[in-house]
Amino acid sequence: MNLKEKLIILSDSAKYDASCSSSGSKRANKNGMGNASYSGICHSFASDGRCISLLKILLTNCCIFDCKYCLNRKSNNIKRAIFTPEEICNITINFYKRNYIEGLFLSSGIIKSPDYTMNLLIETISLLRNKYKFNGYIHAKAIPGSSEILIKKLGNLVDRLSTNIELPTENSLKLLAPNKNSNNINKILNYISTNHNKQFAPAGSSTQMIIGASSDTDLDIMTKSSNMYQQHHLKRVFYSAYIPINKDKLLPTLKTPPLKRENRLYQADWLLRYYGFKVENLLDKDNPNFNLLIDPKADYALRHLEEFPIEINEANYYKLLKVPGIGVTSAKRIINSRKYFKITYKDLKKMGVVLKRAKYFITCNHQYFISPELFKKDFIESNLVLEDKPKTNQNIYQMSLFNE
Amino acid sequence: MNKIYIYNSNFINLLTLIMNLIKKEVKPDNIKDNTYEPNLLEERVILNLENNENILNYFQTKWGNYFLKTIYYVYLSNNENKELIIYYVCLNALKYNKKVLNMRNLKCVSEALRISKYVGNEAHKLKGFLRFKELKNNILYGEIEPTNNVIEILSMHFKRRLANENWIIHDKKRYIAMIYDKKDILLIDTKKIDIFPKLSIEEEDYEDLWCTFYETIGIKERTNLKCRLNFMPKKYWKNIIEMREENETNNKWK
Repeated sequence: MNLKEKLIILSDSAKYDASCSSSGSKRANKNGMGNASYSGICHSFASDGRCISLLKILLTNCCIFDCKYCLNRKSNNIKRAIFTPEEICNITINFYKRNYIEGLFLSSGIIKSPDYTMNLLIETISLLRNKYKFNGYIHAKAIPGSSEILIKKLGNLVDRLSTNIELPTENSLKLLAPNKNSNNINKILNYISTNHNKQFAPAGSSTQMIIGASSDTDLDIMTKSSNMYQQHHLKRVFYSAYIPINKDKLLPTLKTPPLKRENRLYQADWLLRYYGFKVENLLDKDNPNFNLLIDPKADYALRHLEEFPIEINEANYYKLLKVPGIGVTSAKRIINSRKYFKITYKDLKKMGVVLKRAKYFITCNHQYFISPELFKKDFIESNLVLEDKPKTNQNIYQMSLFNE
Repeated sequence: MNKIYIYNSNFINLLTLIMNLIKKEVKPDNIKDNTYEPNLLEERVILNLENNENILNYFQTKWGNYFLKTIYYVYLSNNENKELIIYYVCLNALKYNKKVLNMRNLKCVSEALRISKYVGNEAHKLKGFLRFKELKNNILYGEIEPTNNVIEILSMHFKRRLANENWIIHDKKRYIAMIYDKKDILLIDTKKIDIFPKLSIEEEDYEDLWCTFYETIGIKERTNLKCRLNFMPKKYWKNIIEMREENETNNKWK
């Protein structure tokens, strides 16, 4: 099998991992090739619109596990391949110096045993770091069930070390990933978060959950995420809409991946991390799933109209952040500018506030911008839903008229 | 007649001119570099000022790094009124001092911040989108055609990143190139030199391998070309090798 065939097989089976970030590391170039960029750099965008930052490949797609949702499961009859450490170094270095990539994302199926696989990963990455003097970004996946000493070794070589929890509840993990054990996964994440420092995985850790392969609700997923952020100080939780690649009686039959749901989860994830929201502000037992028509923040505002409108020149940072159409950047600009001048409605646009969303929820110098009798849930909701509808719908409609 | 003050196509000379005008309390109708051709209602005014080499230090101590960086990025932009914007920002800096960039209700400030961010964003994008080709003599050669003049920002980035390689970044739109020889960076004018890059034997293989990876990594069930276009605007496709084929097929239909 030549290098190109291997690359096709081993990037095809790596593409379902959503993580692509290359940020958070300050690794400098020590008389070799490459450095890390703290803010991360996207080098290309794939046909699915996702950023390509790292050479995302598996060391091998051979696997002794049989996770129902996974392309590489033992019971699938597919072509298997394995890279040699030299091959991986060669591709990485040659792609890197041509500025195709920001670094390497190396994961692997489990071959022989977790420790055996971990040793292969360590051998490859230490070759890249020591022989090829590569100082670019490396994200490696720790193999659940491998010994602590190997996790330590790998963490000392890479910028980010992570492992996927795959599913939010113990039950669905048992059902769909019978060889995986949530204790093993938690142990790794725990070890990384307690040992993370300048030398050991300086860019921290992340994890991923598959969305829509099990019967878990958005409340299950967000509760799990929130716990993970608190316990393991993760940089990110990624959500990956389940793509039906395998047929299995335990898996749902979906026509299209649940992309809108995935989008809502990412929005809510942002609200947890940067906007001071808690899971219970967004979801509860009676409403365990997100509204697909309206984003979680606008949904919150509409359910809590009593907190609005808020005054731009007086409200504190977290109150400003609750307004649909005001983000972290514009809220900071508002707070900063207020020290120097009174903000008028006209200034808000220059600060990056999305007025077509924010106008219902704010006053500026105690003036409300739409007629006060329209400050009603139904009115605002119907307007916001229409704002959110992609404009392409109109085009499709026009085209069908044209065809007739 | 509108008085157009002319500077010598470099940043230090522009700042020297601006501070001189402010000192004399002259309000210019516009400020342009020495390639500017005036129209019938305009008059070119050349003051023949000597470059004040200390002016960058002066700006830095008086108004800080962030201020200097912001107006420098405005200077690198393709904005038609960039010189006048910098003039008004400096004028207001004398009044408001370090807090001037917080005065977003001033048009010149909100414009300067917007333009500087735009330039910074383009430079950041090209740090990713620039593609080097390996030449026969092992030199890495990359072509760009950016909207703003970001070649210097890119060179500083690659000087750190590819410190042990020889490389050339060529701005084909502005006819300039930065040449790095593992030690220093040299800016050259490419109007007078023809560059015919000869590729190394391996080059085509790695380009092919990369395009294969690019094809494979996209998830077909999630295809979203509009989203891709948002992040990777068409104006950059010409020099991004994995997009070249699509770019050419697109142009055929024009």
